[in-house]
Amino acid sequence: MANVTVNVNGETRTASVPPETTLLALLRDSFNLTGAKLGCDVGDCGACTVLVDGAAVNACLMLAVQADGRDVLTIEGLATMDRLHPIQKAFEDHGALQCGFCGPGVILSAKALLDESPDPTSQQIRDALAGNLCRCTGYTKMIAAIQFAARALRGEPVDKPA
Amino acid sequence: MRAFEVVAARDSRHAVALLAEHAPSVKVLAGGTDLLVELKSSSHVPAVIIDISRARDLKTIAITDEGLSIGALVTHAEIMRSPIIGEMFPALVDAAHTIGAVQTRNLGTLGGNLVTGVPSMDSGPTLIALDARITIVGPAGRRQMPLAEFFLGPRKTVLKPDELLAEVVIPKENLGKPTQFLKFGLRRGQALALVNVAASLWVERGQVCVRPRIALGAVAPTVIRALKAEAYLEGRTITPEAMAEAGRISVGEAKPITDFRASAEYRRDLIAVLTKRALEGAYARALAKPVEA
Ligand SMILES: Cc1cc2nc3c(=O)[nH]c(=O)nc-3n(C[C@H](O)[C@H](O)[C@H](O)COP(=O)(O)OP(=O)(O)OC[C@H]3O[C@@H](n4cnc5c(N)ncnc54)[C@H](O)[C@@H]3O)c2cc1C
Repeated sequence: MANVTVNVNGETRTASVPPETTLLALLRDSFNLTGAKLGCDVGDCGACTVLVDGAAVNACLMLAVQADGRDVLTIEGLATMDRLHPIQKAFEDHGALQCGFCGPGVILSAKALLDESPDPTSQQIRDALAGNLCRCTGYTKMIAAIQFAARALRGEPVDKPA
Repeated sequence: MRAFEVVAARDSRHAVALLAEHAPSVKVLAGGTDLLVELKSSSHVPAVIIDISRARDLKTIAITDEGLSIGALVTHAEIMRSPIIGEMFPALVDAAHTIGAVQTRNLGTLGGNLVTGVPSMDSGPTLIALDARITIVGPAGRRQMPLAEFFLGPRKTVLKPDELLAEVVIPKENLGKPTQFLKFGLRRGQALALVNVAASLWVERGQVCVRPRIALGAVAPTVIRALKAEAYLEGRTITPEAMAEAGRISVGEAKPITDFRASAEYRRDLIAVLTKRALEGAYARALAKPVEA
């Protein structure tokens, strides 16, 4: 067994897991954080996207031991009990998700983008979402929501979408 | 995934020692974007995995006496962000940008891309068009060779099981050489190349092509040079017709296959068009930033 200590959503957590355990399995099965989804399990769909030291990665393609000592942010770390994160709020207001399976990954990809580029072009947003497959809503509303969230995060006045 | 042990290597020397210690059922893990996919579907997994992802000495990007050195563990995202690479070789940034998607580029490394050795690898053509050399470290010490000689066939390289790929070096004489990389996939993201091409050249007296290199990927068992097309261009005045002719000559040097992504015929058309465009792009870069060879 391997001992793994990760800072997940601001909290230090430890688990003892078989060495071949992926970061995704560690999050879901040991820490009960099921926001990151098991989709394709080979890095194509992006449903398992989490941020490791601020960078978006497929948690299915990283071993838990490779995340030892690092900061991991999952979708559970974004909202507080009384407030959604501005990206989550924008997705809700824009109806940018239907079934929601891709949502945690998409929102974390968007967060990584906005942390680095607070005012992205729509092409930059498309590039940031290229590794997140959505098969129901489509991307148009997501792009609008991310642009909206970007304005809100920059502190610019925003109107609620119609 | 089947069970295996994981041992973390502190640096390349430690990794080489660990490879020897755990031979023969041992394998190196870098970004894991190829290896973990492979291990998940495989019934034969090595007993021990040496995790080199924290070996800092393999992560540097620096100008040395030999040229531009890029450590094997440098990720595609780090290549895209490197000011040195962006300034000298925008084509390497373009090539890195075409790999997978953000998540893949944040984990996937240059070394892993080369060692996996698939013919469609997107880092190969640009580096081969720049006469890149590689450094391998192993129990017997270091050895160097041209990257073009590293590949033996699909997923086959000269790397021995107890060796590590340590760095890629673009030789000093090619620093800043005008280069263009183009990839044609079926989508802009998450798509392997049907064909990828890199072309590099120096321009003398405003229009004479000197030391052209053309490297083609996904159209032969390994990345190949289009040597006849290069010979045709050497010393020739660069014109749109000459670049188109070089594209047509390149087609004859490749052996594309038909698979579920595209037919061999379609790939041949792509070779001619992409080679011509890559040459045009390299030439445009040469004119925009003239450096005499
Ligand atoms: C969704 C997805 C999309 C992709 N898209 C593309 C694409 O568009 N273009 C493309 O070219 N590739 C693509 N790939 C393939 C892959 O991401 C790249 O080849 C990547 O660069 C591999 O690097 P890695 O660090 O993840 O390698 P790993 O998976 O860690 O290793 C790959 C192999 O190389 C060996 N290895 C790694 N580093 C060393 C070293 N320094 N010395 C010795 N051996 C070593 C390992 O033992 C293993 O056999 C994609 C992969 C995924 C999952």
